[in-house]
Amino acid sequence: MEEAVRSTDLVKVYRGKETVEALKGVSISIKKGELFTLLGPNGAGKTTFLRIISTQLLPTSGEVHMFGFDVVKEAEEVRKHIAVVPQDVATYGTMTPWEYSYYFSLLRGMSKPEAKATAETALKAVGLWELKNRTCATLSGGEKKRAIIASALASNADILMLDEPTSGLDVVARRNVWAVLRELVERGKTILLTTHIMEEAEMVSDRLAIIHKGGVIAEGSPEQIKGLSRERFRVVVEGNLSNLGLKENGNHVAKFGSKNIVYVKDEAEALELVGKSLKSGLKAETAAITLEDVFVKLVGGVAE
Amino acid sequence: MNLKALKDVVTITTLKALPDLKRQPMMLLLVGLISALPLYFLVVLGGRINLGLIGAMVSAASFIGMSAAITDMSWDRYVKIREMVVAMPVHPMSYAMGVALAPLLLSTPSLVFFGVLALLVGGLTISSLLWAIVAVILCWASVSSIGFLISTYLQKATPYTLNSMSNVLGILLGFIPPVYYPEEILGSYSWVAAIFPTSNAASLIRVYSGSLALPFEAVLARWLILITTVVVFGTITAAKSRWREP
Repeated sequence: MEEAVRSTDLVKVYRGKETVEALKGVSISIKKGELFTLLGPNGAGKTTFLRIISTQLLPTSGEVHMFGFDVVKEAEEVRKHIAVVPQDVATYGTMTPWEYSYYFSLLRGMSKPEAKATAETALKAVGLWELKNRTCATLSGGEKKRAIIASALASNADILMLDEPTSGLDVVARRNVWAVLRELVERGKTILLTTHIMEEAEMVSDRLAIIHKGGVIAEGSPEQIKGLSRERFRVVVEGNLSNLGLKENGNHVAKFGSKNIVYVKDEAEALELVGKSLKSGLKAETAAITLEDVFVKLVGGVAE
Repeated sequence: MNLKALKDVVTITTLKALPDLKRQPMMLLLVGLISALPLYFLVVLGGRINLGLIGAMVSAASFIGMSAAITDMSWDRYVKIREMVVAMPVHPMSYAMGVALAPLLLSTPSLVFFGVLALLVGGLTISSLLWAIVAVILCWASVSSIGFLISTYLQKATPYTLNSMSNVLGILLGFIPPVYYPEEILGSYSWVAAIFPTSNAASLIRVYSGSLALPFEAVLARWLILITTVVVFGTITAAKSRWREP
């Protein structure tokens, strides 16, 4: 697969009252036609990375090439290939979804008939065609977000970059956005997404990179990332674990009040622990580990 | 500027002006009403309405220039439209011109209204009309470039702070210097009128419509001051502003 984006040893240092090293040598490759996610906690450096590769921010050092063009030296060329939905983007209440998509298409250099056609396609793709002439002030949060995504989509850019597009949306609106993103990838678009929502990263990504404190600590498909964990199953046990003999086995346990997540190597061990728990009168259920479990282990989160 | 850059100016102007024009037509009235407010006191207190109408034209252009350069720019930053535009093949100058021209478009009906009234009551003459248009445009450009410089330096300020600042500056520039009243009232300090783009433009219009007598050299100097303001503030803004953050 051809490369859409390649960053090499990308460093960004913000100098002010405090010096902050936001990116510490990030090297990432994004292939054409894939949905690549940058997953990380707040302040990890995701937005900084996205702003650099979308020509809004200069790096301190390192290189990024987008479709072969250098984002620093050939920004004008790069801008012909990209469309961005910034984090916490808002809409002007007096504008309609149609106006966003149509005028943004014109700014891409399209003729009026082309802009009309592409705006129509984009609004239909995000399911806003029926609401195209409603002002943004009257739309829900999810609809506003989709209006902005449509305006980026209408650009016909080769790569869409979306910075936490579902933050602040309810579950239904979030899933609508996911569906739109996957639909776009099926149509051949390349998408770079940033998120701190684990389920989102797991559900929509072809590949992802976990970014933490300015560096990439893992990269691969969601399954490959989950494979980084020695334990493949989790057992949620409610109650006191002291009679289950876990400490001797060296199991990793995350405690949340009376609820515990016990990580175990395989399904057989998980079922055995469920059985023991039930015999001891404790509630228990098991499932395969999630990306969130692995993420927390990798970034060193919950106490054992 | 190439054809694409000029088309982008038109697109951004339309994008910023048309939705407001369609859905908030009261804005047209608002621009005119603010500038017309001092005329009420001129009429009540027996001032010279013909001079006041010139002041209303100038202050309408000034208000709108300051508001576009400070408030509109900061809101674009706040809602992050600007970030989206930076990542598009759009020249920064096209964006700045579009942002500045959109409110000017919204204030055109007020400017025309005050201009026609001024022609009717003798504040303007047909022969001075062209000079008046040039002076108003230069006043708008001067105030806009001052506003752009302020918004460039105060990038971290909230839109609410900047909105208040633009209103205060608009009032100061529009109402305090001799914009609605003749500069002769200031006596030996009448030169102050040349300092402010608003009063400078108003005085120049009065010179061409025959209500103010200034030597040719003084008129020339005042045009130069107006043009220099645009060039100096525009140049500093261009040098200081960053389309892409460092």
